[in-house]
Amino acid sequence: MELKLRGVTKRFGSLVANDHIDLDVAAGEIHALLGENGAGKTTLMNVLYGLTQPDEGEIEVDGRRVRFRSPKDAIDAGIGMVHQHFMLVPVFTVAENVVLGREPTKPFGLLDRRRARGEVQDLSNRYGLSIDPDAYVEHLPVGVQQRVEIVKALIRQANVLILDEPTAVLTPNETQELFRIMRELKASGRSILFISHKLKEVQAVADTVTVLRRGRVVGSPPPSATDAELATLMVGRDVELRVHKEPAEPGDVVLVVDGLVVRDETGRIAVDGVSLEVRAGEILGVAGVQGNGQTELCKALMGLLPVDRGMVAVGGRDLTRASTRAVLGAGVSYIPEDRQEDGLVESFSVAENLVLDVYDRRPFSSGISLRPDRVRDAARTSMAEFDIRAGSIEVPAKTLSGGNQQKLIVARELSRETRVLLANQPTRGLDVGSIEFVHRRIVANRDAGSAVVIVSSELDEIYALSDRIAVMYEGKIVGVVPPTTPATELGLLMAGATSTRGEEGLPGEEGLPGEEVSEVQPA
Amino acid sequence: MAIGKKRKGGDVKLTSRKLFAFAGALALSSAALVGVGSAGAFAGASGKGPAARHSPKAAKFVGCMVTDTGGIDDRSFNASSWQGMTEAKAADPNITVKYLQSKSTSTYVPNINAFIAQKCGIIVTVGFLMGTATEAAAKAHPTQKFAIVDYTYKPPFKNIDALVFNTVQDGFLGGYLAAGMTKTGKVATYGGMKLPTVTIYMDGFWDGVRYYNNVHHTKVKVLGWTERTQTGEFTGTFTNQTKGETVTKTFISEGADIIFPVAGNVGLGSAKAVQNADNAGGHVNMFWVDTDGCISAAQYCKYFITSVTKGIQSAVKNAVLSAAHGTYKGGNYIGTLANGGVLLAPFHLWTKRVPASLKAQLKRVELGIIHGKIPTPTKSPV
Amino acid sequence: MSSELADQAEETAKSEDGPPSPATGGDGRPGARGFTEALLDAVTSGNTVTVTVLAFLCAIFLGGLIIAFTNTTVLHAWGNLFSAPGKAFATAWDTAAGAYVAMFEGAIVNPHAVSAAFHGGPVSTVFNPLSETAVNATPIILTGLAVAVAFRAGLFNIGAASQFIGGAMIAGWIGFAVHLPFILHAAVAVAGGLVGGAVVGGAVGFLKARTGAHEVIVTIMSNYVMEYLLLYLLGLTAFRRPGNPNPISPPIATNAVLPHLFGSTLRVNVGFLIALAAAAAVWWVLNRTTIGFELRTVGSNPRAARSAGMSPERTWIVVMLLAGALAGLAGAAVVQGTNFNVAPQIYGTYTVDSITVALLGRASPTGTVLASLLFGALRAGGVTMQASTQVPVDIVTVIEALIVLFVAAPPLMRAVFRLREPRAGGGEQLEARGWGG
Repeated sequence: MELKLRGVTKRFGSLVANDHIDLDVAAGEIHALLGENGAGKTTLMNVLYGLTQPDEGEIEVDGRRVRFRSPKDAIDAGIGMVHQHFMLVPVFTVAENVVLGREPTKPFGLLDRRRARGEVQDLSNRYGLSIDPDAYVEHLPVGVQQRVEIVKALIRQANVLILDEPTAVLTPNETQELFRIMRELKASGRSILFISHKLKEVQAVADTVTVLRRGRVVGSPPPSATDAELATLMVGRDVELRVHKEPAEPGDVVLVVDGLVVRDETGRIAVDGVSLEVRAGEILGVAGVQGNGQTELCKALMGLLPVDRGMVAVGGRDLTRASTRAVLGAGVSYIPEDRQEDGLVESFSVAENLVLDVYDRRPFSSGISLRPDRVRDAARTSMAEFDIRAGSIEVPAKTLSGGNQQKLIVARELSRETRVLLANQPTRGLDVGSIEFVHRRIVANRDAGSAVVIVSSELDEIYALSDRIAVMYEGKIVGVVPPTTPATELGLLMAGATSTRGEEGLPGEEGLPGEEVSEVQPA
Repeated sequence: MAIGKKRKGGDVKLTSRKLFAFAGALALSSAALVGVGSAGAFAGASGKGPAARHSPKAAKFVGCMVTDTGGIDDRSFNASSWQGMTEAKAADPNITVKYLQSKSTSTYVPNINAFIAQKCGIIVTVGFLMGTATEAAAKAHPTQKFAIVDYTYKPPFKNIDALVFNTVQDGFLGGYLAAGMTKTGKVATYGGMKLPTVTIYMDGFWDGVRYYNNVHHTKVKVLGWTERTQTGEFTGTFTNQTKGETVTKTFISEGADIIFPVAGNVGLGSAKAVQNADNAGGHVNMFWVDTDGCISAAQYCKYFITSVTKGIQSAVKNAVLSAAHGTYKGGNYIGTLANGGVLLAPFHLWTKRVPASLKAQLKRVELGIIHGKIPTPTKSPV
Repeated sequence: MSSELADQAEETAKSEDGPPSPATGGDGRPGARGFTEALLDAVTSGNTVTVTVLAFLCAIFLGGLIIAFTNTTVLHAWGNLFSAPGKAFATAWDTAAGAYVAMFEGAIVNPHAVSAAFHGGPVSTVFNPLSETAVNATPIILTGLAVAVAFRAGLFNIGAASQFIGGAMIAGWIGFAVHLPFILHAAVAVAGGLVGGAVVGGAVGFLKARTGAHEVIVTIMSNYVMEYLLLYLLGLTAFRRPGNPNPISPPIATNAVLPHLFGSTLRVNVGFLIALAAAAAVWWVLNRTTIGFELRTVGSNPRAARSAGMSPERTWIVVMLLAGALAGLAGAAVVQGTNFNVAPQIYGTYTVDSITVALLGRASPTGTVLASLLFGALRAGGVTMQASTQVPVDIVTVIEALIVLFVAAPPLMRAVFRLREPRAGGGEQLEARGWGG
């Protein structure tokens, strides 16, 4: 099926979300729609799926002009959509979810379960989806839930499949699996409109690329274009994919962690004897595959998880069993892994979120009385300084894009004097422009004399920021290496290949400033 | 909730609409039922439409009653009082009656005030909870006649007819009868709440059984109450019938074959438990309380050996008639066996099954009580 | 920081973040948002003023139908619908309208009293309906605030009655057993009520903070505990009138009675002012203090609160102390303002009333006060309606229930009135906002 958009324009008040957009999707291709958060991708998809009516322009399907007044029209025309957030009923089975709304029935209106299961099984087999029609959706991992959504679209005869940021919720393995499925679908003659802001993914899977910026189509580079070319087109200026930084000038040891043992909520030992020292003015990158105790390490440092054994000190002050408030008071700034759950109150205004952990300090309050004027003043300053793009300081944080939410948290945590900055996955899910911004800020914070700990499962980020890299595996630090270590070496460490490699000695282990043997914890 | 939010999924939206529509319909119909229930009760009882407000024409005397939160269909003192009101109306065509139901304890005062404003011939309030409100109103309006059920004043008021009932006396007769009728040697009683108007019955019942034991050298046991310690079984409610059923089942399993609930509507739960036991081949029966059970809960009449009643009905009727006919005196009235204010109801279906000798003994005990030869002590005196 | 603004923005934003996924709680993790949070969200941003007003009108309309068609005269007239159709409709209309007019006369103003006042009648009777409305609203405002404030901290306080009893017992006991000079006596008794309620509420917060016991269960159980404790106390001679076996406390001393505001003929008293002041105080605490900030943060996102160094446990205790104090004040206001003694069932139906007005008022102090005044008016009007038309007062309960039903079902309201559903359009507004340049 061929899909053409001609001059599609959508305005919201004075804002033009889509400005005369032309788009051609040929049968059997994967067409990537690349753009930063807020470039108008989602609006365009909503137009295409009948959720919004365009102010101007037209849509053609197989050369025929169509008007989608509702998603039903779009579905009837063979367009299917997989939203970023799934629309599944958790307590129903896969088969029940898939047929919801168009249930095959037997006489007397009874649900024909067998037929429903059969259809799901067929599709699953044909495209290698490995879905059990009888599984309950609430028990399925996110990646499989996404495949259920795909089946839902397919069973409604979708020829064009819109995938809205499908990889945002997936692990790297799940992403690879999705790409395989996308190629299978392509091979069967279907078209896929793949919305993303991740350059690597677009390069990996797309046949055609359309870049959107501020509501306009700004180019259609070949997928073989380089990162830098795509990023420049997307952001509208040259982007430093790797932040520039001077060599570190480490000062005194500020953060000391010694023999730390932490159990997670289920009682399992998650951090198993970690010892670290971080100096003022240096960035320690903690690398590792997710789920190897990094999150628990951060929480324990912040007083959010109780410490089983060991010691934590900041600037010589023992904070092992201190409350979170005391840790914050000791000058630790914290950028949590999950910004929406731990970093923000989404229903609160930008201004309120900017004082979320300093509301009880001067000048934002005196005694128990809040000073809303001071809070607002500070918010305006922060918004300008940290380039937080929001309607005003009064809008709820949930209306902000992910990048701006993260900038808000960064602004809050870096707007006060920090001795230690602890950042867990500081740029996950952000577009390149925001990543660049956050990285620059973190480096600036280092240069201002903070001891910085960055936890990340993205090697790019680890390399971009770290002055030293500590690798975590199964709750232990299995090596501390310089950032010159090749990615393959690092990859092996992260996979737990320490017992042998640790003994052999890692390249570049010598010559690290302030490096101490005790920091290497062979498994 | 999640489903309701899914607006972009056109398919699901329909379902949520349906759901809400269904919920709405359900709520409406139940609301309508409530309305029908109360309005029906009202319409049947007073026989006057909304026109009442505009036509005080024929009637020369208006008898008014403020019910407690239970309302006039509580099968208890409110219902009995309202029955007395309607009987007064039936006895004298010049009398009309109406009532106000209290939504909560804080609506006693406005309800009484509303009736004072309407210049009622007499205002009858029901229950000790209204004692203070009635007293205040009577002091503020010395010419307004009042009557109150289940409450007395010391010293008495000239414009309040305070109606109380010494139910320890017929409770005693009930206990004696139960002891005479039991086959298992165990009888049981329980209360709705530990209030004096409840425990006075239970004291009488307990004493009656003990008196029978002394006279006949038997060892009939009372489950659910001990007069000396004033402890026993209470359901904590006058409305939740399930609790009555549960407690009665327990009594039956402990061997009691006559149950005496002093708990208003909760007693219906007992009746159900008794019926179930009867269907299962057990020989269990019960007494009803306050009113004649064969009238107020006729479906269970075959299980009611008798009812231990208090004459709220006739006392209220007399109060209204006296006010209408100028013979009203106020002060305290205590219903006793002597003046017929308390009594055992007729045996109805049990007339033939209660032995004549027992009936004769009951008559002698009654006379003994009336003449003060048999003491009926209680820790909850009226 | 203007919460009004934030609320509005929230409302527009509500529709913007696309369809949340029921499977993943909207962010990829199953069960990330608990029931209470979702409920809180729906309460604080779910219904608009329009919906509330329309819900009220619908409830009045349906209530009118019920009034009319449960009346024997009307039913009789409708039995003769075909012979006299005009009469059938007229009777139905007269019945319903008559009931509502009486209700209005009892809750707002009675024209007869006004004209009587012009002809030398007592002026106070003109204001009696409003006075009754305020009297009825007083305990509902205070208990409603007790639910609303807990709501904002993410707690579902179903224990307004227990806290009310705590307050009523202490205020009542100080009222009848202690002898103090005027004003001081009333003030001490009110303070006692506040403390009594706070103790009962605080115990719930403490249990939740210390043991994790769910506040819904604990508050429900605390209602039973306090109801029976009240009955037990009233069974003791210390709490009973001398020489009276009934479980009813002695009347409180005249010095402990809350003074009337406009003379003794109108029942409205200082309790009403206490309720309004409490609402203002709650607003101030919620929006202008660090305690309120913590409370709202814990209510909206306990995890973020923890990360920000707040202690949800401490906040739970604080908010339940506060909620208990408010409900305790309600107990004091009833004992010292209208009932003048402590008796069983003094707690009335405040548990349900408080939840209802807090829901209707969207858990905001202002909204709770307005909803309580509405309920107060319905109840004050209900007395007059029943007294002058003999329509059962239960109709008031039906109307209240219908209002809540309609408010709780905004989709139903939208369907009935074909209101434009806030739909996908918002999604782009969201983008537009983040747009900037």
